[in-house]
Amino acid sequence: MTALDAVMDGLDIETYLVCGTEREGKDLALRLGHELNLGEVDIMFCEFDGYGVRVRLRKYIHKPGDPYRWLMAPRDKDEKA
Amino acid sequence: MKMRKILCVPLDPVHDVGIKIIRNALATRGFDTELLSPDLPMEEIVRRAAAGAYDEILVSRTLGYGVAELLGRFVDLLDAAGVRERSRVILGGKAVTSELAAELGFDRGFDEHSRIEDIIAFIEGKSAVADTATVEKRKPDITAGYSYRVHDPRIESALDEIVDKVLHWAEGKSTPGTRRAAVRQNLLEENSEARRTALFEEYLSLSDAVIADASRRGIMPKGVRKLSQEEVRELRGMLKERHALRPVSLRHSGERPLIFKFLGSGCPMMDIIHAKVCERWGVDGFLLINPSWEARYEGLLEGALTHRNDGTVTSTENIRLVRDLLEPSTLLTVRAHRGLNTPETVVLAAHGGADMTKIDLVYGSLGAGTDPARLAVDGIEAIRLAARYKMPFDIPGNDELSGVPAWKTLAGLLINVHLGKRLGARAILKPLFCYGPHIVINGLMRQTFVDYNAAKIRALRAIVDCPIWPGEPIAFMTQTEDRVQSATATSFHAALGTALKVDAMTVASTDEAYSRGPICIASRIDSLQGIHEAARFMGQAGFASTPAADSMTEDLHAKIADVLDRVRTASDLPSAISEGFLGDREDGAYPGTFGKGTVA
Repeated sequence: MTALDAVMDGLDIETYLVCGTEREGKDLALRLGHELNLGEVDIMFCEFDGYGVRVRLRKYIHKPGDPYRWLMAPRDKDEKA
Repeated sequence: MKMRKILCVPLDPVHDVGIKIIRNALATRGFDTELLSPDLPMEEIVRRAAAGAYDEILVSRTLGYGVAELLGRFVDLLDAAGVRERSRVILGGKAVTSELAAELGFDRGFDEHSRIEDIIAFIEGKSAVADTATVEKRKPDITAGYSYRVHDPRIESALDEIVDKVLHWAEGKSTPGTRRAAVRQNLLEENSEARRTALFEEYLSLSDAVIADASRRGIMPKGVRKLSQEEVRELRGMLKERHALRPVSLRHSGERPLIFKFLGSGCPMMDIIHAKVCERWGVDGFLLINPSWEARYEGLLEGALTHRNDGTVTSTENIRLVRDLLEPSTLLTVRAHRGLNTPETVVLAAHGGADMTKIDLVYGSLGAGTDPARLAVDGIEAIRLAARYKMPFDIPGNDELSGVPAWKTLAGLLINVHLGKRLGARAILKPLFCYGPHIVINGLMRQTFVDYNAAKIRALRAIVDCPIWPGEPIAFMTQTEDRVQSATATSFHAALGTALKVDAMTVASTDEAYSRGPICIASRIDSLQGIHEAARFMGQAGFASTPAADSMTEDLHAKIADVLDRVRTASDLPSAISEGFLGDREDGAYPGTFGKGTVA
């Protein structure tokens, strides 16, 4: 099981991106998701204050009804012990 | 002029609060408005919209799953009914963006941060009022209006004697620190290059080798480098282009308390960008904190310097760089009292444009490592300089964090205040709002955090008429690395300070308890958001302490008087500190040793 498999439901990333406009901040936030190999992420919250955006991104790893890898994937031997 | 006719539509099964607020605001400004109820079928809304000759149709809807499709269908229905030919359709609500509204076919979109002025400007076809306007701020003087009168005669008599003795003791004494401060003043005021060179050589002769080597041979202490002109130019350029958007206030009403944050990331450029963001989030002032190693060396480095570890190097250039880029109304204080450069730091702070400084003869000796005799001579000179430059100085009671009981710490603060008064300087008391070791061990906050913190403020107010600025930061030792817990702890303490009507507070970030790296800006905003909400929640209401707070207040007052009576029996203040009258080894306080044997 990978560490990402162990995420119960969602992975949130909160940070501050330096940028000149809210639009630029949102674009950067979405690009950040890709650069972190998370694919498409959702922007939960994004507030531009003039110097950058305070942003909270979310990537759902397991949504309700999904096959839960933290439940079904083979666990590490040590972990089972 | 005929006012525009506007139909307000809550396109929502239940919620219509937002559109009601907007409708009321528009009606107040004379627009002809009509509000529909929230549960109408879409076809009925379109029928009403078609029946009236509306100039604008304001639609309110929070975005969620499937809502975009619904809104798109609504626009299509309006189109089909011919409404779009005479009415502009505007979308507002949480998560709405101009781009999304345009994509769905609306004429304009407004989100929850939009101001009514923006909506009206659009309706009237005017340019939106700039929303970069700053919250109207003047630079405040925290000490204005205070008389520094001591109300308690017994305490006043003790303070008079303690101050007489220490001033008498310090008379005619000097240290490398006081001599450097004098040279530094001459250097800063000297125009002749030849004379400046000679003065600088004199300065270096009074400094440690590490400082002299940096100047003469360019060998910087580990982790320190000069900032390039290009870096500084780029930063200035960026901040010239960007301005705070929708600045907030951390006070619900009134002008107090002012909110301060620490700066001292190591890099003045990082400090500035943090400060600019914090200004936008309502911070009124900053405390510039230096590296701990700086306290151990005689002399200070020169130039605009960055440092890879905790604490920003004290130099005129660094202070100026920060000061220049802060808003004119923002206050800046520079820490002077720790270590061997106390009086010189006051000179640099004044010439760098700082508004205040930080001096504490007792804590600087007991909790910050400087020899009591050395700091007494340096501290007295620093207070004289603060008076000369008309810079108030704040006195942090952080010795309490070592385990010193609050009454001993507060007695120490009062000695500093009285010394300041005698020397013509204006002091600010900084009792801690903290969960310090003595409090924990003795269960003084077992029932509530309110009583003992309130008792400190009330006891000090009963003793002296002096500004009070709890720190440093508030909620110290209540915060953990959990950001929600940390923001909540800070917010509650800030609410308590507001209720107690203190003059200012220093507040932490939500990574305050994380000690393995620098503070991040998102963590600063976390705590400021919490304080903002706390101020809004509290408004003009107060905290009710329990009856125990009254007995705690009386107890603190009496014990402060006892401590000062004991200190007055000592031959002088350094002796009283060394003998442990203001905090002893059992408490966890140890007289410092930096600069021992340097008083001449």
